[in-house]
Amino acid sequence: MQNFFQILVSGISVGMIYGVIAFGYQLTFATSKTLNFGQGEALTLGALVGLTCVNFLIGLHLGNLAAYLIALPFVFAFGLLQGAVVERLGVRQAMKTKSEAGWIMATIALGIIFKNMAENIWGKDPLKFPSPLSENPLTIAGVNVRPMEIAIVLGALAMMLAVETFNRRSIYGKAVVATSNDRDAAGLMGINTPLVITFSYALSSLAAALAGVLIAPITLTGANMGAALGLKAFAVAIIGGLSSGFGVVAGGLILGITESMTGFYFDTGYKDVPGLILLLLVLSLKPAGLFGKTAIKKV
Amino acid sequence: MTIKTWLAAAAFSAAFIGAAHAQQTIKIGVSGPYTGGSAAMGVSMRDGVKLATQEINKAGGVLGKPIQLIERDDEAKNELGVQIAQELINKEQVVATVGFINTGVSLAAQRFYQEAEIPVMNNVSTGTLVTQQFKPPENKANYIFRNSANDTIQSAMVAEAVKKAGYTKVAIIADSTNYGQLGRADLEKALAERGLKPVATEKFNIGDTDMTAQALRAKDAGADVVLTYAIGPELAQTVNAVVKLGWKVPVMGSWTLSMASFIDAAGANGEGVMMPQTFIQLPSTPKRKSFIEAYQAAYKVDRIPSPVSAAQGYDSMYLLAAAINQAKSTDGRKVREALENLTTKVEGVVTTYDKPFSATDHEAITANIPVLGIVKGGRVIPANPADLEGDGALRVKPKV
Repeated sequence: MQNFFQILVSGISVGMIYGVIAFGYQLTFATSKTLNFGQGEALTLGALVGLTCVNFLIGLHLGNLAAYLIALPFVFAFGLLQGAVVERLGVRQAMKTKSEAGWIMATIALGIIFKNMAENIWGKDPLKFPSPLSENPLTIAGVNVRPMEIAIVLGALAMMLAVETFNRRSIYGKAVVATSNDRDAAGLMGINTPLVITFSYALSSLAAALAGVLIAPITLTGANMGAALGLKAFAVAIIGGLSSGFGVVAGGLILGITESMTGFYFDTGYKDVPGLILLLLVLSLKPAGLFGKTAIKKV
Repeated sequence: MTIKTWLAAAAFSAAFIGAAHAQQTIKIGVSGPYTGGSAAMGVSMRDGVKLATQEINKAGGVLGKPIQLIERDDEAKNELGVQIAQELINKEQVVATVGFINTGVSLAAQRFYQEAEIPVMNNVSTGTLVTQQFKPPENKANYIFRNSANDTIQSAMVAEAVKKAGYTKVAIIADSTNYGQLGRADLEKALAERGLKPVATEKFNIGDTDMTAQALRAKDAGADVVLTYAIGPELAQTVNAVVKLGWKVPVMGSWTLSMASFIDAAGANGEGVMMPQTFIQLPSTPKRKSFIEAYQAAYKVDRIPSPVSAAQGYDSMYLLAAAINQAKSTDGRKVREALENLTTKVEGVVTTYDKPFSATDHEAITANIPVLGIVKGGRVIPANPADLEGDGALRVKPKV
């Protein structure tokens, strides 16, 4: 039983990371029906910018935790900016011309550019991210957990709650929700929908950057860290449903936990298989995702 | 001009310049991953090759011409390695190629050199199959050489260390690449020869960030030692998971446990991990001392990112240069024949090469050459310091 909980905990922390990145996909899809395929690279850049800030602050004789906390706002600001740039350069034009695939190519291209930039600035070797919390595991009810794994879950939940609260409570959030529901109608009501879409891209990259700095201390930071995660999160977004913020988190947890459970109880070589089977099942039985609302597309 | 004609013109002139150049320099290809998870090995290898090339060129080059290196990044990807092999053979018309870090890339790419009768010196790839892929009598001649310690040698060393220490329940954790899985098979064979059967055999993918499931399965099976076959970043995740579970177990594995990316990412969790090494960054011979100093001065580092790769890269170039000089020709067939019957002794960093190859034996490194290394204080040092003292410092391939 103890093993079960040990595996469950590690599945949850991996799943939460998937969830946060997928949450970013969901944010832009809701407002603009487009996705940032460079989400993995947004994560990479967030982690690397975080690394530079943290190392700089540690150089000023700050403790690891203090440096990490002070670096966070800079990482967030960078994420917002990076997302806005992606939207302005890659997506806006394609949406204006109602291009079906333009934004796909443009976001992938920007992703590649960002990755190459990261390779040139930070080099090609994976780098160690100084851990803000102790690296010694805690034992809670017989289950060993690294403090950073708890921080991942809490950080991810806090970010998603903040976004949800913003959407529900503030007038600006209501503009986002209105744009999600019906972009044309929202535009007619005087909402600056292009700005809302830029904002949703900014938030989406912020989510990815946060995922980057959350996962960096337990893995390595490098130009290639985001690629695999971005792809997994895409699967998560499909499983959970792109129209539901709650859905992608649940999708992340489902994928993370199935991966760990299969690895432990079945065979570590087949860890990724059930997730992909689930993806295929969802696509064929409930294409809108487990928690998604089926939308009727009028042509 | 349309882009197409422009490109054709550019390609034509590039080929033309290339052909003109070939007469003035000896072109040697260098193929390895300079980006990604294997980059520490690839870059160290390339820097070792460059260091040797500079020294050779300063001393007058080979056949009176300077060596020109054609470096290509294969990103540890099999398909890219194949592409590069074709480019180096057909467009650059290299005399020989050194490099290959990843067993998978070696196996995929060297086929083209074999067909073009151009020698390849594998200086880091360790898969046992690498030099056997085109061995005679099935093939008329084998153009694939190696100066790294293959997996048969390494797994035998690891298995022997396991047996000596009296461990009986072995867990193997390996990655899913050619390297990891071929290495796992070698390890299982070496263990079986010593009457040991692993209690758990686990697997993970490159890029995986959480190895809790693998470590827990190994722990649950009651393993008393964990053996690994993978590369740096994932190895770090593996020992991190072992430590997270509060499991105190010795970890041993292939030479990749000496990679800087493993040692840095694992930090304190990586201390005490053991692996076979052909070269440890210690000035145990005058040649090693001058090599380490030259490397540090040229690349402004204190710790070589992957000392084994750097030393083997350096040696591979000297072996090749000696063979070309002996062949008095850049013809692939003659260079291969010279390598198989090298009359000059080559004093390298890893060992002194005295007739390192023969027509049937393309492995320069034998089981007596590597020593066990251990991670201490963020560096690799000999597990038994006596191994590299006195007579043990220079270990040479036994005469047949």
